Amino acid sequence: MLKKLSLLALLAVLVGGLSGVAGIVYQKVYIETVGEGFVNIASTANIFKYTLAGAFVAAIGYFLLSLVLKGKTEMVFNLLFVILTFASILGPIGAKLPLEQDMPELFPGLAVPMHFFPALGWFALKPLFGKSI
Amino acid sequence: MKRLVIFSSTLLLTAAVFAFAALAQAWNISGKYNIAFSTNEASGIFKTFKGSIAFDEANLAASNFSVSVDVASINTGNALMNKHAKSDEWFDAAKYPEIKYTSKKIVKAGAGYQVTGDLEIRGVKKEFTIPFTFKRTGNGATFDGTFKVNRNDFHIGKPGGDVADMISVTVAVPVVKA
Repeated sequence: MLKKLSLLALLAVLVGGLSGVAGIVYQKVYIETVGEGFVNIASTANIFKYTLAGAFVAAIGYFLLSLVLKGKTEMVFNLLFVILTFASILGPIGAKLPLEQDMPELFPGLAVPMHFFPALGWFALKPLFGKSI
Repeated sequence: MKRLVIFSSTLLLTAAVFAFAALAQAWNISGKYNIAFSTNEASGIFKTFKGSIAFDEANLAASNFSVSVDVASINTGNALMNKHAKSDEWFDAAKYPEIKYTSKKIVKAGAGYQVTGDLEIRGVKKEFTIPFTFKRTGNGATFDGTFKVNRNDFHIGKPGGDVADMISVTVAVPVVKA
């Protein structure tokens, strides 16, 4: 149990960190492409804060589901993770930015893809842990 | 002939003196203005505001405002709300790109002033009175005003619905002597 929790925590850190790096790289590309990166809102600290939080919530959810579903955890968790990730894009679409921020219409284009990074990171890294989790 | 020249000169001089006395101080709008609105459902600002302002506390009769707001510069902080606000259901920015206000009369009202003029939104022009204060600071000054506009008077949006009929507007316009 303790080993499983430790590995899940490690997976969460890796997924969160990787997603954060992916988010920052995407932000740089976005700035180069459209000239706006919303760096005051999607700051480096905020990107890492949210990707790590997302990964840890996923890890906790995975652990709790595994207690109940045993062998079917993977299937249900992956489905839930995808559904919740899609639902989360309503956040940046409905976000009300500070009024001094120009071009709020470009914000979803930056933030929506970032919402998929933790799920992508999870699906990429989880298999590396094999049956240990 | 000499009398005519003297008479004409005197008349011109008098007219010039009166004309000078009749002109109120002209002010240039500084860039740090704030034109904000709020309702129960939405709030935001208009980012582009321009116009001419002539105001003198001692000569209100000669004071006047003629200002306009660029409707497309509306910013609620949310892209979908901005698009909605500019649509033909609300401000119809494509057809009516400007909100205009032209003063007709300015009077002293308590500690501040009241300007009455024509407010034009969405092509609907109505007489509208705005209370405001005027504070001098060195070479500049600031106009501040808070008032409510009934959006139904100007056919902004559909009557009723989620958005309240009365829209609160706050105006803060720093100016410098022209």
